[in-house]
Amino acid sequence: MGNQKLYKGSLQTIILKLLAQNDKMYGYEITQHVKELTKGELKITEGALYPALHKLEAEGLLDVEVAKVGNRLRKYYKLTENGTKETANKLAEMQEFLKTMQHLVNPKFSLE
Amino acid sequence: MKLTEQNIQNLYKFTRQHYVYHYDVQTELVDHLANDIEQIWEENPTLSFEKARDTSFKKFGVFGFMDVVEAKQKQMSKKYWKIILRFAKEWFTFPKVVTTITIFLLFFLVLQIPYSEYIFLTTILSLITVEMVILFKSRKEYKIKEKKKEKIFLLEEMLGATKNSYTGFTMVNLFNFVNLTRFDFSNLTIYWIFFLSITLTLLCILFYITNYVIPQKAEELLEETYPEYKIVKNM
Repeated sequence: MGNQKLYKGSLQTIILKLLAQNDKMYGYEITQHVKELTKGELKITEGALYPALHKLEAEGLLDVEVAKVGNRLRKYYKLTENGTKETANKLAEMQEFLKTMQHLVNPKFSLE
Repeated sequence: MKLTEQNIQNLYKFTRQHYVYHYDVQTELVDHLANDIEQIWEENPTLSFEKARDTSFKKFGVFGFMDVVEAKQKQMSKKYWKIILRFAKEWFTFPKVVTTITIFLLFFLVLQIPYSEYIFLTTILSLITVEMVILFKSRKEYKIKEKKKEKIFLLEEMLGATKNSYTGFTMVNLFNFVNLTRFDFSNLTIYWIFFLSITLTLLCILFYITNYVIPQKAEELLEETYPEYKIVKNM
């Protein structure tokens, strides 16, 4: 398990990106999906996931749907139009961030 | 292995015991715990329901469901505020803007006559009293609902029983300020009176919206906010 602190600031971007790929997802599905994709490297904790989802919903980036699954109700999240736009912005920001970090951590010297 | 209906009811009770009082918040947590318990059972089928449940709950950390509840409350407060603004806008467009201007002018003129501070205090005090009475009534209704174990949604409580106390707080503060400092309105410049009249007008609108308009439209607003509202109330 890597340093979870390093991932903390990226939680919203991760959620948005996942929703952009999967149409609609519920909370538990998101945690499992992330675990699978990162081979257990990143574990989204329950105490962080739902507050992040609720915040995104309050900002109007996510919409909710509820369906009865078996004997319980399940709340699905999906991107709103604004959410789709914001996902693109956040991903661009993330790329920029990764590039900067790459430069900082692993500077390449050149004669330019 | 799948959870039984009884297990699900037990999970609802469990969230209630851990200070999650509203059905909308409970539902999301119950589904999460249920999924996790089923996952835990896949790896360890002999574990009892209670043990699996507690293992799952531990993953939420030392504060349990508190973080989730807090975030949800913040989200709903924002939502409530947006609803208020939606209705408030009407008061600044024709035809209601006429009423708004009339109220404003009334305050503006009245506050200029001698001893107007008493008029000011009486207005505020009567508004506070009316709001208290309404709040008291709706809290009572809410308690009855709670006793009957009806499902209460977070926004439902905000619309009816708590109202986030925006108007109440402001009015009590204003009242105390003017009363305790023995404020004399006759010394005030016209700009201050203008400002005070605007504040009072806005408070009146806010008061009317939170206490009369929104509670009347509560059902509609709840259905709009919660896709599950209708399903649940018919269950």
